[in-house]
Amino acid sequence: MGRKGGTFLLLAPAVFAIGATTLYPLVFSFWTSFHDWRLMKGLRPGAFVGLENYITAFTDDPEFWTVMGVTVRFVVLDVALTILAALGLAVLLVRRGFARSLLRTLLILPFAVSPALIGISWRFMFNPEYGAFNRGIGAVLPFMDKMDWFASTGLATFALISADLWHWSPYFAFMLMGGLAAVPPETQEAARIDGASNWGVFRHVTLPQIAPVLLVAVILKTVFALKVFDIIVTMTGGGPGMQTTTLAYFAYNIGFRDYDMGYAAAVSYVLTAILFALSFVYVRHIMPVRR
Amino acid sequence: MSRRTAQLLESALLVVVALFILFPIVWMVLTAFKPQQLIYHINLIFTPTLDNFREVFSPRWQVGAKVLNSTIIAVSTVVVTIPLAVAAAYAFSRRHFPFKRAMFQWILLTQFIPGVAIILPFYLMFRSLGLLDTYAALVIVDMAVVLPYAVWTIKGFIDAIPEETEEAALIDGASLPGLLRYVIVPMARPGIITAAVFCFILTWNEFLFALILTRNQVVPLSVGIMSFRLERGDLWELIAATGILIAIPMFFLAMVIQRHFTKGMNVGAIR
Repeated sequence: MGRKGGTFLLLAPAVFAIGATTLYPLVFSFWTSFHDWRLMKGLRPGAFVGLENYITAFTDDPEFWTVMGVTVRFVVLDVALTILAALGLAVLLVRRGFARSLLRTLLILPFAVSPALIGISWRFMFNPEYGAFNRGIGAVLPFMDKMDWFASTGLATFALISADLWHWSPYFAFMLMGGLAAVPPETQEAARIDGASNWGVFRHVTLPQIAPVLLVAVILKTVFALKVFDIIVTMTGGGPGMQTTTLAYFAYNIGFRDYDMGYAAAVSYVLTAILFALSFVYVRHIMPVRR
Repeated sequence: MSRRTAQLLESALLVVVALFILFPIVWMVLTAFKPQQLIYHINLIFTPTLDNFREVFSPRWQVGAKVLNSTIIAVSTVVVTIPLAVAAAYAFSRRHFPFKRAMFQWILLTQFIPGVAIILPFYLMFRSLGLLDTYAALVIVDMAVVLPYAVWTIKGFIDAIPEETEEAALIDGASLPGLLRYVIVPMARPGIITAAVFCFILTWNEFLFALILTRNQVVPLSVGIMSFRLERGDLWELIAATGILIAIPMFFLAMVIQRHFTKGMNVGAIR
């Protein structure tokens, strides 16, 4: 085999495996979403029902719209806060120095912790009776003492976001540090000589130059926020009521609690459609930048 | 603001960041080593005990079996994934073939697929094949996440190898397997290690697929930790001890690839 031969052999195993584990299930889910398939009624797929599962979701199931609202609220707040935190971390830690390099090393840790474990630990720390976060917050803000975080929509959402932020903000901080390091220092120097304040330099010189990286970070974080599942299961269980049940967790419940495969496939396809729409934005804006 | 106050403020911020990162981890470690009667107190000073670890490894909870399951699943996934990924990454980097661009875009696109859309068909398929609660089922589904990621990370590193090195090997009569084994793999080693470590961490921490596909035979740690949540309440000291077993090995692995992070991540490197 020379320099041209063997391409098929090189590619075939991986392409087959990727096709079988991603393309095949997506096609199968799509097919399922047009069928009535409730495992309670029978193991075999039932009748073809056309768009009925989708129509049920959009017009007939009040829970679906509750879940859409919850998802939008969670994603918007989660992306905004996580990226802001990441930007803050990146600006603070991008420079050289012993303390900073030590902190950069520590910053890898949250990313390595399983989200399911983070969810369960947060549940412990926010416990109204003996949670460490709760005690700390109660000591500073007495009216928050013994607050049941998971009984309130706002607080449960905040608890979830704080866990997701802890896991993801370091990852995006590293990405943004890459962006910051690529900004030529001369541009900042020039603005400073012209009398710009630190904030002025950041706002008008640095920020526009890292805007492309920031956009990538926002899109990716939106994708990850839409896919959040583990911490919801282990921390809030979707509650109070359905107030932290996002689309991914909703689809899981329909499929694996109610065993309605057709409807679960349809709901998971709504989520897939949203994610693929984001992927087009991503590919459009980002692909030319990447090699 | 004087220079001195600015410096103080900065140091204070650095301390806050350190606390932010470490507090949840330290709290888990403290809880894991606390005697049971102190779990619900905010004591920082106590005589550490290994009782909680002894308890989780006891026949009642069988965390040892779950450690083994997690290890088998993660090691198998990495061992199957990496060779496939290296071969495909080399083809994507050096060869031309039909639909190359479309295939590579699909590889990027897979990271946008929600897990729940993938697991539904696999659950139905594995159930009818009698493969629920087997290692094979989990390894296959985990590859949906890690294989595309590995292909694309390793491709980046192979792209950076100068083509002349290969030419030299080819002139010396190297075959394709020889070229991969003696030239490409050694030169792309940092990328291959990075991809392997990432794949290991992602598989070890994976939760959704394991939650659906396992019952009792092959339950990994990430799902097994839920068994300490009982009707009568959560057994926090045992959750914390198991949490240590989940997190600490991953901390060491993450340190192996820390250069990959701190060098400033590839723009768009997604999991």
